Amino acid sequence: MRRWSLLLFVLLTACGQGPQADLQYIKQARSISAEWALVNEQANRGRLTITYVQSMRGWLHDGLETASGSLSQPHSRYGAEIRALLAEPPDAAPAELRRYAEALKQIEAEFESA
Amino acid sequence: MNPLELTLGIMTAVGGFVDISELVFAAKAGSTFGFALVWVFAFSTVGIIVFSEMSGRVAAVAKQPVFSLMRHRLGLKLGLITLIASIISNLITCAAEIGGVALILNYLTGGPYLPMVIAVTVALIASIWVLPFKWVERAYGLLGLFMVVFAVALVANHPQWHQLAGGFVPQVPDGLSTKELLTFGYFAVAIVSAVMFPYEVYFYSSGGIEEGWSPKDILTNRLTSILGMGLGSLLAISILANSAVVFGPANVNPEIPGSAALEAAIPFGKWGLILALLGMFFAVAGAAVETCLANAYSIAQFFGWKWGRHKKPWEAPRFTVTWILLFVAALGIVLTGVDVMTLVEFAVLFSILVLPLTYLPLLLLSGDRAFMGRYINGAITKTLGWFYFCVVTVAAMVALPLYFLTSGGNG
Amino acid sequence: MKPSDPIKLVSQLLDLPIVDSEGAYCGVVDDIELAGRAQQPLEVKALMIGPGAYAGRLPRWAMKIVRITAGDRVVRVPLGKIRTIGAAVQLQVPGTVLGLQRSEDRVERWIPRKGAF
Repeated sequence: MRRWSLLLFVLLTACGQGPQADLQYIKQARSISAEWALVNEQANRGRLTITYVQSMRGWLHDGLETASGSLSQPHSRYGAEIRALLAEPPDAAPAELRRYAEALKQIEAEFESA
Repeated sequence: MNPLELTLGIMTAVGGFVDISELVFAAKAGSTFGFALVWVFAFSTVGIIVFSEMSGRVAAVAKQPVFSLMRHRLGLKLGLITLIASIISNLITCAAEIGGVALILNYLTGGPYLPMVIAVTVALIASIWVLPFKWVERAYGLLGLFMVVFAVALVANHPQWHQLAGGFVPQVPDGLSTKELLTFGYFAVAIVSAVMFPYEVYFYSSGGIEEGWSPKDILTNRLTSILGMGLGSLLAISILANSAVVFGPANVNPEIPGSAALEAAIPFGKWGLILALLGMFFAVAGAAVETCLANAYSIAQFFGWKWGRHKKPWEAPRFTVTWILLFVAALGIVLTGVDVMTLVEFAVLFSILVLPLTYLPLLLLSGDRAFMGRYINGAITKTLGWFYFCVVTVAAMVALPLYFLTSGGNG
Repeated sequence: MKPSDPIKLVSQLLDLPIVDSEGAYCGVVDDIELAGRAQQPLEVKALMIGPGAYAGRLPRWAMKIVRITAGDRVVRVPLGKIRTIGAAVQLQVPGTVLGLQRSEDRVERWIPRKGAF
């Protein structure tokens, strides 16, 4: 009985730590989403070279994939949000990308206040 | 003192101040904490000015570079430990710089990253092979002055100037949670490390010998250290301040070096972007050259080999083979696929751990009347030197715990 | 300081760089050969230069690595060949005369003599 209680305790602790451990990746994904929006916004205004835009989109996408792949709880609400963000086209509308950033920011705030 | 030479020396120091670590940490610091870390840049710059001036003075008066005399001061065993630690630190830093240059080239040209890494390394080797020391230093330093676009962009981005001025006052922002406080501490330590990288002192002192400095160049050394590094630091602070204005409100924590270029693109469009990328390219390439040569200087000076790029490559054979092999080793690190940002983090961490070992012998040497005669440390330099030695020692002790507690500053 | 002057071995001589009469670096004072007897002043007889001179100064395992990577050659520089001792040891003769810089000469053969200003 004691052994099972201990195992349950460890599992619960691990579950509790999972989302907290993912906090850095949620922050990363939020930041990348916001930066992607900034890049697309400036690109739409013609203030960036095509080469720079394509390059930045590629690197930001790579960063997002890394963050998504590092999640301990990929099937969580925030995991789904990040996967949906990854599915966006490279020239996604800045407003749409900022919506993702806002959603992830709210999840961040929930974890930080927990 | 030749005014043209002095001006060129100062401008070279300005253009050569920023490297990939400062670029990355300045941008992150600004977006995360606004102007609150400006004072740390200013504070660290005074530290690097003090130690650079000391190392230049030792070179000019004792006519021996820092690492030669470091072995004499520390002895063989501790000297070897310092040498190995600084080789590792400088090698990782060099790899980060090479990766950074290749990334910037990718932003400029769209060329694939890994072939760019190889091309950059070959180009850097070729530039040191072909050009004598003075022109290697000047080429990268003066072309790094494209970075001035960040200072101009700051004006165009309309910061709250009184808030920016307030950032120069030592402070810790109010209302931070424990985790945010630790992250602030980590950024402060990282900035101290990035500004006071050991390679800068080794390169500066060896450069003084390469240029044939003597006691009559003491004033040149002083002016180059103070004005060159002081003005160069303003470029790094511009990147931080721009980040606070542009990225902070947009919820962006810049994750890649290319993000910094947006700071100039937003007010100035494509030309601002291109100038920023060119400035970053030459500044970071210059840093790659400096880190590699600093390592080669350290090894050659420790073992008493012929050294220097004021000689032709075949006149200092072991030194030549050493810097080429070091570039190849740095290239090897980058080709393993490790992320440039990870390399930057490790470079900053390793460097802060090595800093006390670097600066202690320098302090002792520059305060030794037997070597320095009447050019020994004055009261102000001595006080500042020991103060900053204590600062880097404390920073070295807390760096690793802060890194792990804050997940490398990511909270 | 002249070589015949009284000297503090560790703080004023050991691990100093060596510069020959042509201004070329040719090693570091890796060890010192002394002569003398108990209760008599010690005299410096020669400087020992080369990786083999680390033997008394490094742990055995470190010395094994040194031998594999750099060999264990030692060159003996008699006191009479030294001009002055200051921030570096200045020799009276070119380093090649004393057998120094041999590794430098070996490596030089591999460096192409082209393309550099």
